[in-house]
Amino acid sequence: MNAHDEDRMKKLLQQALPPVDGEAGPDRDLWPAVLKRLDAKPAGASSGWAWFDWALAVGLVLLVAFFPASIPVLLYYL
Amino acid sequence: MNTHPYLRAYLAGICVPTIVLPLLLTFVVIRLVNQVPIPVEQVLIFPMAVVPLLWGLWNMLWLWSAPHTHLPIGLHGAVLPVLLMPIGALLATCLGVLAIGSHGVTWFQAFHVPYTLIAPIFLAALAGYYLIWKYIVGFLNRALGIA
Repeated sequence: MNAHDEDRMKKLLQQALPPVDGEAGPDRDLWPAVLKRLDAKPAGASSGWAWFDWALAVGLVLLVAFFPASIPVLLYYL
Repeated sequence: MNTHPYLRAYLAGICVPTIVLPLLLTFVVIRLVNQVPIPVEQVLIFPMAVVPLLWGLWNMLWLWSAPHTHLPIGLHGAVLPVLLMPIGALLATCLGVLAIGSHGVTWFQAFHVPYTLIAPIFLAALAGYYLIWKYIVGFLNRALGIA
């Protein structure tokens, strides 16, 4: 493919793909908002579960404290 | 690091019971030093061999099934006591260290655990397994690049 062919191909491509009318994109950078949303979503979801996990841990400690006989049984299965 | 993911899953799974094992051995040392007439070492085959093996295999199973089931690793680990507790009780009964009575079970002919306490212990095991698998095994899986 020589230079003439390349120019011809370029013109044909430009004719086949007309320029986009109107705004080419948003007027502001959207990437920081995407990052903020990605960061916020797992934190919100995990905080609810964190309370549940803490409740389980407290229940486990209370059971072991009130029934020390359960300690060797639990260790046996660990 | 995409090679041997199941080997890494097995190693991550056996980590916790392997760390707990020396704690159990202290019970044996205390018994031998103080000459306590309770043969704790008779039941050590279960936490020494069966529990780490099943933890490793259970983590391998999670690695294999997670893409299909999308089950969180904490819930997957919480199911393991359902499998482990009957096996452990059966093994202890066969070894003669666990006697099943009408009101409860007796360990080493010395420690009586009533049936009313077994249900909370089972629930505690579920909770403990859930937390350990979610936070420790999950962390190990991430550290080894399989989660």
